[in-house]
Amino acid sequence: MTGPFSPHIPVAATLTAKRDLTSDTALFTLSAGRDAAGFLSTFVPGQFVQLSVPGGGEIPISPAEPPSAGMIRLCVRRVGHVTGLLHRLPAGSPLGIRGPFGRGFPVDEMAGHPVLLLAGGLGIAPLRSLISHLMAYREKFGEITLMYGAREPSVMLFRDELVELAGRGLIRLYLTVDFAPEDQVGGYSCARGLLPDLLEGFRFDAANSYAAVCGPPPLYRCLTADLEQAGVHPSRVLLSLERRMRCGIGRCCHCAIGQKLCCTDGPVFRLSELKDIPEAL
Amino acid sequence: MATMFLKESLLGEFLETLRLFGELAGPTLSVQGVTVLAPVTDPSLLLLDYKRTQIPPKKYLLPFREKVISFSKGGYHNGGDEPARTVLFAIHPCDLEGIAYLDRVFLADPADPGYARRRSGLTLVGISCEPDDFCFCSGTGEAAPCDLFLNRAEGGFEVTLSTARGEEIAAAARGCLTAFDSASKGKKSPLPPLRKGGDVVPAVRPQGLKRATLVPGSVDPELRFSGHPLWEEFARRCVGCGACSVCCPTCYCFDLREYPELTGGHRRMREWDNCLFKNHGEVAGGNFRPERLDRLRYRFLHKFCGFSPLEGMSSCVGCGRCRQFCPVDIDLRELLPEEGS
Repeated sequence: MTGPFSPHIPVAATLTAKRDLTSDTALFTLSAGRDAAGFLSTFVPGQFVQLSVPGGGEIPISPAEPPSAGMIRLCVRRVGHVTGLLHRLPAGSPLGIRGPFGRGFPVDEMAGHPVLLLAGGLGIAPLRSLISHLMAYREKFGEITLMYGAREPSVMLFRDELVELAGRGLIRLYLTVDFAPEDQVGGYSCARGLLPDLLEGFRFDAANSYAAVCGPPPLYRCLTADLEQAGVHPSRVLLSLERRMRCGIGRCCHCAIGQKLCCTDGPVFRLSELKDIPEAL
Repeated sequence: MATMFLKESLLGEFLETLRLFGELAGPTLSVQGVTVLAPVTDPSLLLLDYKRTQIPPKKYLLPFREKVISFSKGGYHNGGDEPARTVLFAIHPCDLEGIAYLDRVFLADPADPGYARRRSGLTLVGISCEPDDFCFCSGTGEAAPCDLFLNRAEGGFEVTLSTARGEEIAAAARGCLTAFDSASKGKKSPLPPLRKGGDVVPAVRPQGLKRATLVPGSVDPELRFSGHPLWEEFARRCVGCGACSVCCPTCYCFDLREYPELTGGHRRMREWDNCLFKNHGEVAGGNFRPERLDRLRYRFLHKFCGFSPLEGMSSCVGCGRCRQFCPVDIDLRELLPEEGS
C-alpha cells in the first residue's frame, strides 16, 4: 500500500471539538492532519469511516458532513462501549480513522432530479453529509425536500441550520415529532406524527424524484412501501443501512445482507437491490 | 511441471529435506487423542492415512487470535510479526481447496497483510486420501492447489511439482526422488502452475479446469428463505456451539477487539468469530439475526451460495468435518438436491 492510507491501520486523528446536541448525542470534530486530507477528500456522502477510540475499539460511523482539509465531523450517540468512551474524552485526545469505505449515494446520477430526503432520528447525520453536498452544488439538483422525524422536540438534531436552509429557500423542510411533552410546547412549531403521515399528503414529482432514506429499521419498512406507491422508482429509492461492520473491507462477514455485504456493496442500497432479500429491511 | 517418484523407505529423508523450507507440521495424534496438525517431532508419529484433523489448516494462516494493530505514543501501528516459515505436510485435497478459497478472500485487493505474510511463508505438500463416510467431496485431488502433491502408489508416492517452490524442494531432495516412469506407473493428469517465482498469487485455477471438490449441483439461495421444514427441525436441534464453523476449512469470519496492554497502550486483536453465536449480528440497539434459525440460514447462505464478491461460489470443500463434529448430527447438505437428481 503506497501513501499514508492503509485500509488496515487507522490514521491518527485528534479530537479537536465536541458540541453537545442533546443529552446523549454530540457532534465530534476530528483533525486527521494534512496527510489524511487526500484520501478523506474521496468521501462520497453516505460512505462510512471506522472510528477508533484507543482502548475501546472501532465503530462504523457515517460522517455528518463531507470531510475537508483533513477535518472530519461525526455525530455520535452514546449507546455502547466505544461511544461511551468517546463521549468522555477531552479535546486533544488521540483517535484513529480508517476509510472512507463503502458505496455512498449516487450523487452524479441524482443530478438534475428532485430529491426527497427522509430522516428518522439519528438518521439525519448521514443525510446531513448528503445535504451538504446538495447545497454545495445546489443548482445541479431539482427541488430538495427534507422530512425529518424525531422522537420529541428536544432530540431534534441540527434544527437551526435546517430551518436556516429552508428560510433561504434552498430546501423544503418538514419536521415532525412522535410526541411533544407539555413542558416543551411553545419552543418552536413542527408537526406531530410519524414520517409516513408527512409523506401521505405530500405532492411531488414522484416519477422523476430520487428518495434518500436513513433511520431506524422500522422506518424503512413503512416508508419504502409508501414511496413506491407514490410512484418513485425502486431503483431511485436509496436506503442507508446499518449492520455491524467490523473490518470495513468485506472480510469479517458480520454485515451481510442476503449475499451482499453492507460494508462494500452498501451501506447505501437501492430498494430494487433489496427487494428479494426478506430480512434486509 | 514434473512428476517424480518417492520410495516409501526414503520418506524420512524427504521429510528432513522439507525442514529446510520451514517448520514441518503434519497430521498426528494429540495426547488427548485428537487428530491435529502439529509440528513433526518424530516422523514415525505422522498419520499418513488420517481421515481429517479436527481443526483445519486455516489455523496456520488465520491464527485463532492475533495482534493486528497496536496503539502507542498517540497512534496506531502495524502489530503483526514476521511469521515463521512453515511446511504443511500431508494435506488432503479438500483442505488444499479450502486454502485456495481463503486465498481468494484474503489475497484479493487490498491483501490482508498478516495473511499474505503467512501465506508467502507457507509451503503446502498435499497427499491423496481415501474418503470415509463423512466425506463428500467429488474430486480425486488431481488438481489440488499446492506446491507439491504426493499421490500414493505402489511402494511409495508419485510426486507432482506444481510451483517454483515445489521444484526447489525437489531439487533439494533429489537424493530421494527418482524420475517417474509413467509407462510402468500409470499416467498422471497435469497440474496447473499456481505461483510464479516467489510471489504469492491466489491459487486460482486456470479456466476450464474443474474444481476438484464441492457439493453437487448449484444451490439455490432462495432455499435459505424458504419455509423448508428442515430449517425448523435444525433450529430446534442446534445447540449453537459453533463447532461447524470452527472446524470448517473455509469459515473465516472474525471479530476485532481492543485490549489494554499492561505496559501501556492498547492492542487490537483479530479473533475467530462464529456466525452461530448470538452476538454475531448485533448492532447498537438490536440484532439482525436474533434467532438460531436466522443464524443457521446465515451460515448456509455464506457457505453454499457465497457473499459478494464471491457470490455464487460455494466454499464447501466436502471435508466432512461439520458432519462429524456436530454434536446433534445436523447436516446442512440434507437441504441440498441429491447428486444426480
